[in-house]
Amino acid sequence: MIEFRDVSKVYDHNGNELRAVDHVTLKVDKGEIFGVIGFSGAGKSTLVRMVNQLEKPTEGNILVEGEDLTKLSKPEVRRVRKRIGMIFQHFNLLESKTVRHNVGFPLALVGTPKRVIQKRVTEILEFVGLEDKADQYPEELSGGQKQRVGIARALATSPDILLCDEATSALDPETTKSILQLLKRVRDEYNLTILMITHEMNVIKEVCDKVAVMEKGAVIEQGTIFELFSNPQHQTTQNFIRSVIESDIPASILRGIEKRGAGRHIYRVTFVNETAGEPILSQVSKRFDVDVNVLFGQITELQGIPFGHLVVEIQGEDKEIVKAIDHIQSAVTVQEVYSHAG
Amino acid sequence: MQVNLIDFWPRILEATYQTLLMVGISLLVATLIGLPLGIALVVTKQGGLLENNSIFNGLSAVVNFFRSIPFIILLVAILPLTRLIVGTSIGTAAASVPLIIFSAPYIARLVESSLLEVKTGVIEAAEAMGATPWQIIWRVYIPEALSSIVLNLTIATIGLVGASAMAGFVGGGGLGDLAISYGYQRFETDIMVVTVLLLVFIVQATQMVGNLLSKKAKRQ
Repeated sequence: MIEFRDVSKVYDHNGNELRAVDHVTLKVDKGEIFGVIGFSGAGKSTLVRMVNQLEKPTEGNILVEGEDLTKLSKPEVRRVRKRIGMIFQHFNLLESKTVRHNVGFPLALVGTPKRVIQKRVTEILEFVGLEDKADQYPEELSGGQKQRVGIARALATSPDILLCDEATSALDPETTKSILQLLKRVRDEYNLTILMITHEMNVIKEVCDKVAVMEKGAVIEQGTIFELFSNPQHQTTQNFIRSVIESDIPASILRGIEKRGAGRHIYRVTFVNETAGEPILSQVSKRFDVDVNVLFGQITELQGIPFGHLVVEIQGEDKEIVKAIDHIQSAVTVQEVYSHAG
Repeated sequence: MQVNLIDFWPRILEATYQTLLMVGISLLVATLIGLPLGIALVVTKQGGLLENNSIFNGLSAVVNFFRSIPFIILLVAILPLTRLIVGTSIGTAAASVPLIIFSAPYIARLVESSLLEVKTGVIEAAEAMGATPWQIIWRVYIPEALSSIVLNLTIATIGLVGASAMAGFVGGGGLGDLAISYGYQRFETDIMVVTVLLLVFIVQATQMVGNLLSKKAKRQ
């Protein structure tokens, strides 16, 4: 469990006060994958680095498993750090050492016997799927493999928490996906708490349970993935969501609608949860005297559950349309229906 | 009067031995001084592991001071100190003292630049694992920079070979001394050519060994 209590970090930037993190209060529960998203310079990197005290907060408290890190001495901080694994955008592996030595490194730091290290390294390399690369050097590996070594190294000491600092930002989309799947497995099998920062919404969408959006050092919005995706309050959040789920009607479709004249009824039906799988639109067109024409839509998956929206045109008599809309609203969680009167 | 090169051969061998001895001793002692000094410069630097402005500025000033004295002046300026340490101001051992004082600060700067090549992210990763500053120096900085340190020490060694020739001025002996006193002052061109060839060979061999060791140090 990680808890930020009214945490701020202020830098002195040529005599000017630079507030990198501004009164952040957050709670990451045990076993949760918590994502922090923001543009570069939003302060998310500073935020995550305060969890293992690579950065010291100027104000506020940070609790890890109930222990207030801001009150610890240097040796105590080092003790806590051994329970917090961290992976990085550029992997930060020892180039002069083999994969085996890299993974065993944190264990060697605490004087673990060689035999025990050997066993643990083999075990953890198997988990990340790199058992055949043990005697290779980092420069011989691909980016994805390097990050797997990074993950293995972070897990070697069996930490309670894993911090991910833009861990997939240097990887291609395919590799990103496989690394995210691995992180999910890490959480599931070791019951780790994972705090990840990223500027990519698809990363959040792929693995996170909860998310906080940061801007100019402050958390402007936070909640479960569903809460944020289905009802984003802040413009920045909406922009991020739009980067993975297109909610605007594409221009070509709009042109088509306009060409065919005014007085048409276009609605946006947003699906959340299980309802995305229901044949609600076909039911409506059977039950009422309307035709449903799907113009555009996007259904994606959030934590294994379909989520998305459809932009539909409903054709028919006005009163039939009203009834149809009523029915849709009663049957599914319709977040927003908007009409284009033309 | 020309000397017979064949008869003179033992003298050349002796001079070669003196050169190697001077360079060897100086390199060893200068590294023992320069390496910790270089490490200290890096860790006390702003943003370093054990950031300390006054120590860094102090060390940096001392290093710069010694590096700004031309070797030929250093050679004579520290004669009293040499006499104090070695007991005499002439001979191979005596010549090593100015060579050490000349190259230790140089090696410190070379080591500093090698260590600075280690990516800050790697240092940070070690910090995040709970490594102590000492552990980071020995288990991260040195092994990661070793290949580069070896290459830089090779440069320092070759510099020492050059400087050791000047040490002939204080009776240090060696190939440089031979080349000056026979080849230059007595116009013995043969001797000059042979000593120069030998120096070229030493430099080439040093560079070759340095490259080889550096490559080896890349993967430990």
